[in-house]
Amino acid sequence: MNFIENLRLALTSIAANKMRSILTMLGIIIGISAVIMITTIGNSIQKTLMKTFNSIGNMNYFDIYANVTYGAHDENGEEISVNFKDEDLISRSMLDKLVETYPEYFYLNMTDSFGGFELKNWKNQTFKASIIGRMNVEGDNDIKFTRGRKINKSDNDLHKQVLNVSTLFVQQYLPPNADPIGQTVSTDMGDFVIVGVFELPAIYNKQIYQPGQKDIEKVTPVYIPYDTGMKLTYQENRYNYYADVYYYPEYDVDMLQGILEEFFKEEYKEKPYMNIFVESMQSQLGMINTVVNVITIAISVIAAISLIVGGVGVMNIMLVSITERTKEIGVRKALGAQNSAIRMQFVVEAILLCLIGGIIGIILGILGGMAIGFIAKLLVSQFYAEYAELFSITIQPSVPAILISVGFSVLTGVFFGYYPANKAAKMNPIDALRYD
Amino acid sequence: MNKTVIEMRNIIKRYYIGQPNELQILNGISLDIHEHEFVSIVGQSGSGKSTLMNMIGALDRPTEGTYLLNGVDISTLDDYDLSQIRNQEIGFVFQTFNLISRTNALKNVEMPMMYAGIPRKQRLLRAMELLKIVGMEDRADHQPNELSGGQKQRVAIARAMANKPSILLADEPTGALDSKTGRMIMDLFHKLHDEEGTTIVLITHSNELAAETERIITISDGSVISDTGVKQA
Repeated sequence: MNFIENLRLALTSIAANKMRSILTMLGIIIGISAVIMITTIGNSIQKTLMKTFNSIGNMNYFDIYANVTYGAHDENGEEISVNFKDEDLISRSMLDKLVETYPEYFYLNMTDSFGGFELKNWKNQTFKASIIGRMNVEGDNDIKFTRGRKINKSDNDLHKQVLNVSTLFVQQYLPPNADPIGQTVSTDMGDFVIVGVFELPAIYNKQIYQPGQKDIEKVTPVYIPYDTGMKLTYQENRYNYYADVYYYPEYDVDMLQGILEEFFKEEYKEKPYMNIFVESMQSQLGMINTVVNVITIAISVIAAISLIVGGVGVMNIMLVSITERTKEIGVRKALGAQNSAIRMQFVVEAILLCLIGGIIGIILGILGGMAIGFIAKLLVSQFYAEYAELFSITIQPSVPAILISVGFSVLTGVFFGYYPANKAAKMNPIDALRYD
Repeated sequence: MNKTVIEMRNIIKRYYIGQPNELQILNGISLDIHEHEFVSIVGQSGSGKSTLMNMIGALDRPTEGTYLLNGVDISTLDDYDLSQIRNQEIGFVFQTFNLISRTNALKNVEMPMMYAGIPRKQRLLRAMELLKIVGMEDRADHQPNELSGGQKQRVAIARAMANKPSILLADEPTGALDSKTGRMIMDLFHKLHDEEGTTIVLITHSNELAAETERIITISDGSVISDTGVKQA
C-alpha cells in the first residue's frame, strides 16, 4: 500500500463529501489566509521602507559619536574626574588620519549647510539660495548634470571657490539662453564661479523647491566644495560630537566596524572618560527591519491561533468520518489491512484536507494582501500626492511565510488527524464488521 | 488424505473474563479441515458459530486452546501478523457483501492485493481474471450501488479469492439474496470447489444448503454435536 494509493483513496473520500470537506477546510483557509495577508503587508512595508531609504542616497556609512562618560572609575576604583575639553571630540585631523591609514576601506563625504543668502537676479528681483558644502559631488550618481562639470576632489583639496547650481537657480538668476558656466555669484562668504549645472532629483522639486512659490523659505540649493566653505568660515579645525565615515560597499560591514572601533580606541587611549560609539547605517536599517519583522510575526502568531480552531474542526470531521465508515474499516481489516495502513489512510486524508485548505488560504491571503496594498497606494496618491513617488508601495508576498504555511497545514493535518486515524486503526475488526 | 489446513484443539472462548457476567461461548471445540474440502458449519443463532467463524478467520484469538492454520499457531500472533494471515490465508465472503462503497468492482477486487503490496499492473490483470471467473468482467467499472445483490456477492467472492487464500470462509453468503440468486451463488461455490480445488467453509443456519456440501459440522451451545466426517476419496 504505497503513498500514491493512499492519496487516491483520500481524494475519493474528500470528493465524495464536497460540502462537508469545504466546511472543514474553512477554519484552515481563514487561518492561513490571515497569516499570509499579514505577512504580505509586513513584507510590503519592509520593502517599501527599504526602497525609500535607498532612494535617499548612499547608505554605506558609519555614524561615529563621541560621548563623555561621567562617573567612570580607574583601575584603583577612584572616580575619574573629567576635565572635558572641545579638543576631546572628533577632530577633522583624526578623520583625515583614518582615511590616510585605510584608504582602501574608508573615505570622507562631508556635507554641511552654510546657510541661506539673498541675491538679486538680472531683473533685480530678490531670491534665496542656500549654500551646501559637499565633498564628493562626483560620487553622487543620483544627481544629473546638464552642463559643465561636477565639483571634484581637487576643487575641495585646493579650496577652490567654485559652484554647482541647479537648473532652477539658473532660471531664476540669469536671463533666458544665457550661458551659466563661468558666471560669478556673490555670496556672504565670497565670490564663486559656476562650473556645472545639475537637475534636482524629482522629490526635491515636488517637496520643496516649487518655482514661483511665494513662500520665502523655499530656497534653491547650490553646492560648493566642503573644505572651501570650512576655510571661508574659519571652521577648519572644528571639533564634532558626531561624524560620518563612508566605506566602500565591497567590504564586510562588521569587519570595517571592528577596524573603526579599534582605530578610535587607539586615538582615545589617553582619554578613558571619552566613549566612542560606532554604528553603521546598515545596522540601523536592520533594526527597522527587525521591528517590522517582530510586529509581523507577533500578529501572525495571533492569526495562527485560528489555525488551531481549524485543526480541531478537521479532527471533529475525521472522528465523524471514521464513525460513519466503521463498517468499511472492519471490511478492510478482514481483507488484511494492517493497522498502519488504516492509520495512514486517515492521516493522509486529514493532511490532504488541511493542505488543500492551506493552498486555498495562501491564494486568498495573497489576493487580500494585494488588495490592501492597492488600497493603500490609492489613498497615498489621493491624499499625499507629493509623497506618492517617495513612497511607491511595493506589494510582495513573503515567500518564507508561504512555505511555512504549507508546512504548518501539513503539520495540522498530522497532529489533528493522528488521533482519529489511530482510533480507526485500533478498532476491533469483529466489532467494526458488526457495526451498523 | 489431503493436507490439514485447519487444526483446532480444545478451543475455548470466554467474554467479560473475571466479571460477574463472564460468558463462555465456545466450550472446547476440536476440529480438522483439510485441503480441497467443502465443509459447512451449521448451528442455530446463539450456538457460537459466528464466534467460531471469527476464530477460523483470524479475526479473534481463542481464550484457551490451540489453532494451527497451515501449521502456524494463530492463538499467539499479534495484530500485525493476524492481518497478514487474513490477507494471505483467508478469503471472507459476508452475508451483506460488504463491498467498499464509491469504489468500483475492479478496485474492490484489487483491495486485498493492494494490502499485500502487489504492484498495480499485476493487480489489474489478476482482478480482471477473477472477475471473469465469477462472470463479472463486463461490470468491472461499476460502483457497488449499480450492482444487484447477486452481482455484488459475485464481486465479493472474486475479492475473497484475490490472494489465493487457503480457505474461502463464507458467512451466510445467500442470506441476503432471493432463492434464485442464492442458487447461482451456491453454483459458483461448487464451480470454484470443483474446478479450482478451493477449500470452502460455509457457515449457515440452513440445513438445506449444508446438505449440498461434502461434510457437515453441527454446532450447538458452543460444542460440536455432530460431524459427518471427511469424505473418503
